[in-house]
Amino acid sequence: MRTHKLCMLGDFGVGKTSLVARFVRSTFSAKYLTTVGVKVDSKEVALPGREPLKLVVWDIAGRGALDGVGENYLRGASALLLVADGTREASLASALNLLMQSRRSLPNAVVALAVNKLDLVDRWEVAPATLAELRNTLPVFETSALSGDGVEAAFADLAARLAP
Amino acid sequence: MTPMPALPSAVEDYLRDTLMRRAHPLLLSFGDDWQLRELHGDPAVYGLDAEHGLRELQDLFIGLPLDGHQDLPFVEFSNGRSAHVHLIADAPGFHVLLLDAEEERERQRAQQQLGHDAVLTGHEQSKAIGRLTEIRNELERQRASLEEANALKNALIATLSHEFRTPLTSIFGYLHLLERRLDGSGNAAQALQAVRRNATYLFTLAENLLEYGRGESGAALLNPVEVDLTLLARDLDAMFRPLAEDKGVAFRVDLLVEETAPPVFDEVRLRQIVVNLLSNAVRYTTKGEIACDLVWRDGRLSIDVADSGIGISAEFRDSVFKPFNRGGQSGSKGAGLGLSIVRRLIEQMRGELRLESELGRGTRFRVELPPLARAAAKSAASHAAPFPRGVQALVVDDDPDIAQLLEVLLIDLGFEVRVAENASQAIAEATRQPPDVLLIDVELPGLSGNAAVFQLRSHGYRGRIVTLSATSTGDARDASLRAGADHYLTKPLNLDQFVGVMQRALQGEASGQNPDADRRG
Ligand SMILES: Nc1nc2c(ncn2[C@@H]2O[C@H](COP(=O)(O)OP(=O)(O)O)[C@@H](O)[C@H]2O)c(=O)[nH]1
Ligand SMILES: [Mg+2]
Repeated sequence: MRTHKLCMLGDFGVGKTSLVARFVRSTFSAKYLTTVGVKVDSKEVALPGREPLKLVVWDIAGRGALDGVGENYLRGASALLLVADGTREASLASALNLLMQSRRSLPNAVVALAVNKLDLVDRWEVAPATLAELRNTLPVFETSALSGDGVEAAFADLAARLAP
Repeated sequence: MTPMPALPSAVEDYLRDTLMRRAHPLLLSFGDDWQLRELHGDPAVYGLDAEHGLRELQDLFIGLPLDGHQDLPFVEFSNGRSAHVHLIADAPGFHVLLLDAEEERERQRAQQQLGHDAVLTGHEQSKAIGRLTEIRNELERQRASLEEANALKNALIATLSHEFRTPLTSIFGYLHLLERRLDGSGNAAQALQAVRRNATYLFTLAENLLEYGRGESGAALLNPVEVDLTLLARDLDAMFRPLAEDKGVAFRVDLLVEETAPPVFDEVRLRQIVVNLLSNAVRYTTKGEIACDLVWRDGRLSIDVADSGIGISAEFRDSVFKPFNRGGQSGSKGAGLGLSIVRRLIEQMRGELRLESELGRGTRFRVELPPLARAAAKSAASHAAPFPRGVQALVVDDDPDIAQLLEVLLIDLGFEVRVAENASQAIAEATRQPPDVLLIDVELPGLSGNAAVFQLRSHGYRGRIVTLSATSTGDARDASLRAGADHYLTKPLNLDQFVGVMQRALQGEASGQNPDADRRG
């Protein structure tokens, strides 16, 4: 089976670990436990009309990818899921920052942006117009690890764009 | 450099023992194709059983070359244990060495958790403090206006009984007449009419209270209709002549019509104006005459109410138009709401009001009202300006009764209507065929209406969006507008308001603008 490495990138607390838990295990926990280092999970993804593929998902600690050690984690990745938290505008800038930095070592990786915590949309700082604008440059998904909305779609989109 | 002397073997042994115990080293030696050749240590420490363990290790090195050294610090394995993972090339194969990092990880986690929690709660706190400041200012504003409103409310209650006394007395009077005449001459019909008129008067007073309750800002929509002035004059005569003549005051209503077409006004409000002026005149006049002249000429309606009553001194000219003023007209018990409502209604209708008075000689109110039809065409919802046919609306509500009500209303207004019952359906439907107007409940099960609105806007949907909610707080409204709604309506629906909002929504669409779409809060 084709196997691809996917890295979760984003500020701490945006919901990377939670998105992976939702995607791989269909679970959610409201308790926040800081990730140190990396946790690797995998899941098979069915693709319409194509062979299924296996995604090996690397959940990397918040700022991990910014420092030298983090770059090590990124090596070999063919997909990046950038994650921002809609209730924290600054986390969106962080995600885009991480994208620029990782682009240098991973020029060919497929990329998508998940703006997470859609269930808290009433408290979002990120405006719809901002995301409408961003959609011109990369695929954007509003997600909620809590409710599951948009999570499957974000991973499926990346999987579908990975080279066969 | 001098070569480092070897450690004493006892120390070396001790070191090896300690490190081995702490690091739980696990060494796996592979051929070049992940063929396991040798194993040192216990794979179970890292939850690496024979079946899946190898897979898990292999997944770690996807996309990485196996012919160089690789370091992966702090890798959490599926049993939750953390290890530093090292790949050591040894052609033609390689070794994978795992060293326990659990303690170190926990120490780092505890440290970072504190920092992260502080940042996250700090963010929440600064937002909360901002909100608190807003709330405090808002409360301060509310307190100030409440104080004023409260004083008014107390006055209102005190005046209420007084306001209702006159018409009620009259009703009872006529009922008395009715009883007497029924067995005698039996002109019952007329008496019954009087009862009805006075009921109308009471109704007007109630309308006054309502009007007052709306406040200055909440001017309701005007409802323009053709007014039968002859009927109005006759009703006024029937309503006030008995009251005036009771007090020995002469009473007349004259009507002069020079236009061919009847005037267009909000009839309820027009009646409110004249009835209030006349009841004011009747109250403060004890001799002489009360005269009401209605003139419909040159496209303007003038109403002239003159009495020979106690008059209003110059210093009180302004205060008689304030609600519940006292002593405005000398010796009175307070004028109540009437004149303040009159003034407000006239302002709403863009008319003019003048007051001439001489203490002890009498008072004259002159009102000029411009034709309402033109001015009102915009604001006067349904009847005045019908909606263009065939505008597409998508209604989203999980309550089928409300969805149906909206559907019927909109079809009635000439819309083409589709209905969805949840947010995902709404997004799919609006994406498939974008409606001109989306009406969506905020409190939907699952994905909220606001989330759907946000997603549609962030996908570039440019139609109008009206959100409907059972919550009437400013916060809830702001959240909806921030998500990208153009209008926010609260349930239960006020139909006038609904129609007005739909109209504004469509006008906004015509001008191709979405003033709220870019709003930040
Ligand atoms: N309401 C809500 N909370 C979420 C969501 N995703 C994550 N969280 C919470 O946000 C906090 C941080 O999540 P986590 O997955 O640990 O973030 P990470 O640092 O990016 O891995 C935790 O308390 C989660 O429960 C979401 O979609 N909705
Ligand atoms: Mg995490």
